[in-house]
Amino acid sequence: MREPTLRAAGLATSLAYAAAIAWLYTTQPQNVAQVTGGFASIVGVYKVEPQAFADGLRFFRANQFPEARAALLRADPAERDAQVQFYVAYTFYREGWGRLYNDDALFAKGLVAVDKAIALAPAGRLVVDDADLQMHSADELRAELQRGVTRDASDFNPLRVFGTRK
Amino acid sequence: MSATREAFVLPLLFLTVTLLAGVRVGAAVALEPPSLFALVLGTLLLGTLVRSGALAPARLLHGARPMAANANGAVVLVTLFLSGAQVLAMLTPRSGLPLFFVDVFLFVLLLNTLVAQPDRVRLLRSLAVIFGSALVLKFVVLASLSSPGGSRTTRVLVALFDAATFGTIAQEPQTSGAGYLAFAAIALFLAGIAALPSARPYTESTALQPSPPR
Repeated sequence: MREPTLRAAGLATSLAYAAAIAWLYTTQPQNVAQVTGGFASIVGVYKVEPQAFADGLRFFRANQFPEARAALLRADPAERDAQVQFYVAYTFYREGWGRLYNDDALFAKGLVAVDKAIALAPAGRLVVDDADLQMHSADELRAELQRGVTRDASDFNPLRVFGTRK
Repeated sequence: MSATREAFVLPLLFLTVTLLAGVRVGAAVALEPPSLFALVLGTLLLGTLVRSGALAPARLLHGARPMAANANGAVVLVTLFLSGAQVLAMLTPRSGLPLFFVDVFLFVLLLNTLVAQPDRVRLLRSLAVIFGSALVLKFVVLASLSSPGGSRTTRVLVALFDAATFGTIAQEPQTSGAGYLAFAAIALFLAGIAALPSARPYTESTALQPSPPR
């Protein structure tokens, strides 16, 4: 190989490797699936596993939330799909919602998931067309989760027991 | 220095060190960029390499070289600096008095080496000793003092030690993999700086000679 070609190839390889390392520092993936899925989504070949997603939705509609999350995370192991992350956040909301009080730990996890969904959605706008849901946008879900973890006077309103889960 | 070493081997090696040294293995895996002080130490390290002749910047960046060669040279210098800073950050304990003392120790040691201006071989040996001692201190001594596992007696002794030192010595527990990663990062880094273009190219006259009999 001629030297200028060799040097150009070396430069391109080094820059690509440096960009990959910078991406790892920025996104902080926690497992191999997140690393491979992240790189796959950068080049546009990342896909959600349709069967696992369908299983997740079935469990979600049957109020089996931990099972739904397990299936949804199997469908989107790299956590790179906005819609799947929206449903994951919704499972935390529905499981954590209570007539007397909400489960703050689950709501906090829901907030993390919905923030991830918003970050992944184009221009941060995510609307899910699902008749089973009462909140269709990630913004509504985020606000509801945020209200759930916020302590204020409305938490002591006795009429709260007549509230409904969305 | 061959074009392959300058274009591929050194940048990829130093980038790998940057990646390995940045990994913090705890309850979750995280990649931590070097602290500001580690960047200062990295600058001192780079200066020391240049002053000792272990690195000749003119052999990487020079007006007489073609543009592609200079671009490769610049990548080598940048990745060397980043990996050096990241290795020093990795070797520094994360909190308490050990953080302070190791930072001071590394700063004084590198400054002293910079001023003493040892030759290339002595500098490489000195760096191996500095990195090796810091590795043992952080990943063997401090890790064993902060380890949550072990027998009941060990846990009681660790708790007593922690109480006696007001919690200023104990560090966050580390997994055993962290030490191995650190060892690999240091070994690669030392191999990388040994392969840098030096001020005195290797010739018969510069080769290490046996000491004359006294």
